Amino acid sequence: MNISPFFFYGFGGIAIACALLVILGKSPVSSAFSLVMVFFSFAGIYALLDAHLIAALQIFVYAGAIMVLFIFVIMLLNADVPTFDLGRTHLGIRIVAGSISLATLLIFIWAFKETPLTAPVAQFTPENIEAAGGNTQVVSELMFSEYLLPFELTSVLLLAAIIGAVAIAKRKLAAGRS
Amino acid sequence: MEALKTIQPDLLTLSQDQFNCLVPYFTVFAGTCLSILLSVWGAIKAKWPVFLVASLTCLVAMVNSLVLIQGTSQSLFNGMMVSDSYSHFFNLIFLGSALFTIFGSFRYLDEEKMQHPEYYVLVLFAALGMMLMTSAQDLIVLFVALELMSLCVYVLVGFRRNDRKCNEAAMKYFILGSAASAVLLYGAALIYGATGSTEIHSVLKFVQDHPQSLNPIFGLGFSMVLFGFLFKVAAVPFHMWMPDVYEGAPVPVTGFMTTGLKAAAFGTFVRVLLAIGYGKGISSAIQSHLHDILWVSCALTMLVGNFIALTQVNLKRMLAYSSIAHTGYLLLGILSGTRSELGFAPGVMYILIYSAMNLGAFVILTLLSSEGDSKLNLHDLSGVARRHPWLSFAMSVFLLSMAGIPPTAGFAAKYLVFYSAIQANEIPLVVIGVLSSAVSVFYYLRVLVYMYMRDPVGSPPVLRVSLWSGLAIASMILITIEVGVLPEQMIDLAKRVVLSL
Repeated sequence: MNISPFFFYGFGGIAIACALLVILGKSPVSSAFSLVMVFFSFAGIYALLDAHLIAALQIFVYAGAIMVLFIFVIMLLNADVPTFDLGRTHLGIRIVAGSISLATLLIFIWAFKETPLTAPVAQFTPENIEAAGGNTQVVSELMFSEYLLPFELTSVLLLAAIIGAVAIAKRKLAAGRS
Repeated sequence: MEALKTIQPDLLTLSQDQFNCLVPYFTVFAGTCLSILLSVWGAIKAKWPVFLVASLTCLVAMVNSLVLIQGTSQSLFNGMMVSDSYSHFFNLIFLGSALFTIFGSFRYLDEEKMQHPEYYVLVLFAALGMMLMTSAQDLIVLFVALELMSLCVYVLVGFRRNDRKCNEAAMKYFILGSAASAVLLYGAALIYGATGSTEIHSVLKFVQDHPQSLNPIFGLGFSMVLFGFLFKVAAVPFHMWMPDVYEGAPVPVTGFMTTGLKAAAFGTFVRVLLAIGYGKGISSAIQSHLHDILWVSCALTMLVGNFIALTQVNLKRMLAYSSIAHTGYLLLGILSGTRSELGFAPGVMYILIYSAMNLGAFVILTLLSSEGDSKLNLHDLSGVARRHPWLSFAMSVFLLSMAGIPPTAGFAAKYLVFYSAIQANEIPLVVIGVLSSAVSVFYYLRVLVYMYMRDPVGSPPVLRVSLWSGLAIASMILITIEVGVLPEQMIDLAKRVVLSL
């Protein structure tokens, strides 16, 4: 597999820069739009890896559906003004936190540099997938046979998340009453 | 290279045996769905039906697991999960913890004006997540089950929505918990990248077959998974979230967290540690690193938990720190599991006994708390024994058991853990453990002093103990004393359970 370094570093750089903007941005709207950009660059990287289905789904589901929901919520809540002020943290704490993060980053860089590129080659090479009927078919077949359990479990997880969201949101009415 | 085979027909059907093994999981899921339907059925008042369905579900699933605990181990879904004595033993703990949490919460929710049927649904979902988590053999299933459990508990922690402290606790837990999940997930991804598999036995096989290819990435992924687990069990230095969360959450939820959540994290931890070859199978370099990390964490956890608990006046906070201390003893049990004759049995037994006594103590705290979880400071307990001799007696049994005083179950459990640690030649840790355990007696006994030897302040109302809470307390007392007097049976069970791993 050969990935064009130009596109890889391009997408990777955009993803990191936009991810930083998400957490550093002052207004929720600009954070949300930076997040869209992060999702798009991820989709680009997935496409470079020959995972076209995932790339398309990334754009449909994340950049499309989920982000539209985000932005709707921000609009409806009118959360344009920052509602909380964290204040300035102590300088010492900032220095300690910064150096720990930097050290962690260095450890990661070291680990990835030291690791020889002998990643185990699984059976899912582009040629094999092509022969078996393409990306979409292979993914869907795997999902409903070998990975059935995690797939079904994810739907249970989503159901639980919906109930949880209802449980939190519903009681806002009760709170207003009392 | 042979052609890609993606559909494996044998994976598409479940044999009768496999189906039988899944019955507890199906039962809990069916019960949960039924509870959801009942809670939205406008024609009825959902409180009673949902409560009964949820309790019955737990009971039925417990009976199923009790039957299956005798059975042989059965690999399911292409080895993604396994049903063996070990997983069903833990299922019993989770379901019991869910059942008694439900029992203990029933009147509490009425009194706190939080009687929403979603509460029971979320407890059931969390129990399902825990059950799947300890049965998982695959890092993907493990992660999804972990998230299922955590998501429900985040919501339960913030269930008293109008309370500032409660919201703060939920928010803190949500953010820190998500960060820990992310660390765990990233670690799993790195392990996958280094070994080409998420199935924990294949990971071990790869590591054994290619000892020279063990690279820093694998080590990094492995440590991240380890840190994720240590966060979930709240071992020092990953314990900072715990006291605030435990204090802010509604009392029964705190009880559920200290028992179910902790048992789930530990149960999975032991399974993963063993499956990746802790004790045998992987190189001694990794062994000793792993040992060192756990050693430091274990020593710190025992010390920090016990010494900070000394200064607490709020009972919930005190039990939170004592729960950190017990995490230390559990880690000691795991640490010495590979080099003692009893293996991991003492650790596994400790989890069960700790769950029983802690659950009982929290059911009593639930009864004692008044509006908004106030009145849980030490001096509010002054003279409780005069008004409620039985409640005070039960509380004393649980506290003495936590302190490890015979003839309660806590003594048997602690004795076994320390005994196996001595066999494993962890003398310094045992010294730290015994000394800090002696320190812990002080803060457990102080509660007793307040209950029995102080005069009551003012004239607090007499509490009514509901049938359900009474039932929960009585069963926990029964386990605590029964195991304390006759630990033999429990040890045998724990041994058999660990052997099935």
